[in-house]
Amino acid sequence: MKFYYFHLMPYVMDHDEPSSWVTLSNRHYDPKVGQQLYNQYLDQLEYAESLGWDGLCVNEHHQNCYGTMPSPNVMAAMLVRRTSRAKIAILGNGLPLRENPLRLAEEVAMLDVASGGRVISGFVRGISAEYFSTGVNPTHSRERFYEAAELILRAWTEPGPFAFDGKFYRYHYVNPWPRPLQQPHPPVWCPSQGSSETVEWAAKRRFPYLMVFTPITRIAQIYAEYREACERHGYTASPEQLTVNLPIVVAENDAKARALAEKHVMWVFNTGLRMHPPFWRPPGYMTEASLRRMLQNPPPLPSELTFEQADAQGYIVYGSPATVRDKLRVFSDELRAGIVCSGMNGGGHEATLEMMQMFAEEVMPALGGGLRPPSDGRERA
Amino acid sequence: MRGTPIHMWSGGKGADLLFLHGAGGAGRWLPFQARLAARFAVRFPSHPGHGGSPAAEWIEHISDLAFHYLDLLDALRIERVHLVGTSFGGWIAAEIAVMASHRLDSLTLIDPVGIKVDGWIYPFLFGMDLPEIVQAVFHNPMAALALAPADQSVETLAHQYRQGAAIARVSWNPYLYNPLLRRRLGRITTPTLLCWGAHDRLAPLDPCGRAWASDISEARLRIFDASGHVPHLEEPDAVADAVIEFCAAGAGRR
Repeated sequence: MKFYYFHLMPYVMDHDEPSSWVTLSNRHYDPKVGQQLYNQYLDQLEYAESLGWDGLCVNEHHQNCYGTMPSPNVMAAMLVRRTSRAKIAILGNGLPLRENPLRLAEEVAMLDVASGGRVISGFVRGISAEYFSTGVNPTHSRERFYEAAELILRAWTEPGPFAFDGKFYRYHYVNPWPRPLQQPHPPVWCPSQGSSETVEWAAKRRFPYLMVFTPITRIAQIYAEYREACERHGYTASPEQLTVNLPIVVAENDAKARALAEKHVMWVFNTGLRMHPPFWRPPGYMTEASLRRMLQNPPPLPSELTFEQADAQGYIVYGSPATVRDKLRVFSDELRAGIVCSGMNGGGHEATLEMMQMFAEEVMPALGGGLRPPSDGRERA
Repeated sequence: MRGTPIHMWSGGKGADLLFLHGAGGAGRWLPFQARLAARFAVRFPSHPGHGGSPAAEWIEHISDLAFHYLDLLDALRIERVHLVGTSFGGWIAAEIAVMASHRLDSLTLIDPVGIKVDGWIYPFLFGMDLPEIVQAVFHNPMAALALAPADQSVETLAHQYRQGAAIARVSWNPYLYNPLLRRRLGRITTPTLLCWGAHDRLAPLDPCGRAWASDISEARLRIFDASGHVPHLEEPDAVADAVIEFCAAGAGRR
């Protein structure tokens, strides 16, 4: 199993506003606090490389306290120069949110060249709320996603210049300098919450699929759909095409881990993902078929999710190193996921670094991950 | 209509009148339509994706809806019509009027949206929950009950989602207006009645109603004191009577 360290870069705060997204006033954001947080979070990502994580993940969200990374490529650029071995996974760039997605082809190619080919390029539509923050029409989301993805892949793989005449994006000269270092192009991952259209699209192109913050039974169901779609397209999905993304909390014993999870992980769901209901469901963002599937079996709103539900339904993994090892074996052995993406929060920078170290030393090796062979790279830089 | 089915209510006898509904107003024959039907042959189609009309992928711009209804008039062999539109339907009606004033006997716009008015940004209904929408749209919230959904079934919710998507396709951004429409309003030569709720908070009389009144040379402005954005729901009899009176006067002039 491979391990990727995933950071949301949250601005952790308590508030009584109805939404942590879109309308939560940025007067709550203190740039001085932000400066400290960004630097601690980047330290954590760099430390993860030294502890043996295989990849470092950044992601795009707008106008919220849940994740303060509106431009994941900016954060990836900082990591490129401060790391040397780990993959840098951008999970992902919100393709339809860009008016000029050719710029994405350029930025990711820059990162790929500068990093010596360590970049993984996630393609996402952006979650519902981003359409309120960017003004992009949510009824165009899917079409823009497919069109921008096609443009970027062609820009990376076809010698330029060529003309591109899409419905949303039109260029007389597609000819980006630089071209990516990895051939034919940087790996493309598809982080998603399981829409059948995205599963099909990713499977057809052999793009790895990533489930984010999803209950384990649903992960199993969507993985099965993905594997079946891969077979239909004439190949068998490899474990590394299936990634699971979930919060992990490890501590000396189960009770301590549970207490940390109840506080810090539940903040992500209950406060970080608290959203004014209309922001969850902009018109036309989902197909009507997907909407009907969702309404038949509506998931709990994250803001209403209890710790007991999150625990029972497998939204989170917590416990002593032995417990966490056992829980992760379910993902590796039963779900046959090849990659675990997770962030950690020990309730403060130092405590988080200690949790990361415990995970790297006492959990990862048992699952075939971590530093191979063990080295002295565990010392904190 | 050229491959796009239209679900349409029809009722009454008299001169032809086409009514274009606003968001959420499809498929409900209410006192306003009933009163008009005493004097007119009323045709009340549901926009694609609304009421009984299936969604139409090809409709991506407000002018597509205007052409859609010109197609309907052609198919019904209606040469000239009294055109009445409310809110979003008023926007479509205005787009039709700048294309084909010669097809209109009269034009009634009830609190239309559709033009950019300096100093005003339409409140973003897509970001509101139901109580907030009622607050923004109605002066008399009891009038909203006329549009209340039958239930909260998957079918009803999917239907509402389809309607929202159909509106959003043509109006999310720019929100509720066509940047080109306002400079074309001068093309409207049809006698035009502007009905405006005095308490409209979505498109207020001042500045929105005043802008329409100044840009359409033949416009007459009637203000309804007990209404918000939807006077045909809040004061249906008074608005219907205003339309009837205006059309009768127009017929006398011809």
